[in-house]
Amino acid sequence: MIQVEFYSLLRLLLKQEKLTLPWKKEITVEQLLKQVQSAIPIPFLDKLIDADGRLHPGTIILVDRRNIHHLDLLQTKIRDGAVIALFPPGAGG
Amino acid sequence: MNTSPADRYARQVLHWGEAMQHRIMQSTLLIAGVGGLGATVAQLMARGGVGKLYLVDDGELDWPDLNRQTLYGEQDIGRKKVQVAAERLAAINSTIQIIPLDSRINRQREWPSDLTAVADCLDNWPSRFALYNTTSAGCWFVHGGLQGDQGQILTLKTGTSQPLDEIFTGCTQPQGSIPVTPDAAAILAGMMAGELFQALGGTPRLLDRILVVGLEDFHCSILNV
Repeated sequence: MIQVEFYSLLRLLLKQEKLTLPWKKEITVEQLLKQVQSAIPIPFLDKLIDADGRLHPGTIILVDRRNIHHLDLLQTKIRDGAVIALFPPGAGG
Repeated sequence: MNTSPADRYARQVLHWGEAMQHRIMQSTLLIAGVGGLGATVAQLMARGGVGKLYLVDDGELDWPDLNRQTLYGEQDIGRKKVQVAAERLAAINSTIQIIPLDSRINRQREWPSDLTAVADCLDNWPSRFALYNTTSAGCWFVHGGLQGDQGQILTLKTGTSQPLDEIFTGCTQPQGSIPVTPDAAAILAGMMAGELFQALGGTPRLLDRILVVGLEDFHCSILNV
């Protein structure tokens, strides 16, 4: 199983806190996000990735607590049991 | 006019006890940014009796600050925030040390060596990352951030936890002014102060855990990092 968690404005937008997907084979973060998008009727992928396949700066993606910027970005491999968190943090103070 | 600590702090000691109060009074806290979060955090920490407070900010008070920066009033427009904050905090609690530092935060900055904790009440990621990376190891680092009516609080221990700039790598500032409401700033600052008191007492509740707060539907969740 893979657990995808939505925080802050993404939780509000998608009206859910998490989505659990069955683990079939090793996939990348990019492939996972597309699977999530096809499982959820509300468009959100364009808030994470631009048309050229680059990450938007407003949301951090953590795979098992680690920011994918310190892994292989969107090509980071997802293992069975992984927890993926999508979190757009507040920037102000 | 003065009074004893036992009298001044009587109500909170009923809740957290004398040992905790003693630790708080022996602590040194650096509050980085005395704006939306920091002005209220500083006020609550002063009321709670933190022994020594460093206040860091290089800004001057402007009209858009008044909706949420609770230490200031109209008569302070144009004045340095750290100076006004130091005056107001001294009027609230004259028994603690308050040291204003009119300073920018960058990677060349060095901080006093006696810090128990740092409160990141800043309003931009580059300064936050510089603050974290210039804080010496073994210090509690309590981060707060907000945008609109969403916010987060996270406690790290420098030198042990994942560094702040690794957790939030890729975050850049949004274009233009960031929306912030009076209530969100006060609520997040109050929660941050609660976590800071616990950290100064040695028992933070959010170590390596992000508390994500959504005021639109009063929702809280925890993100482990």
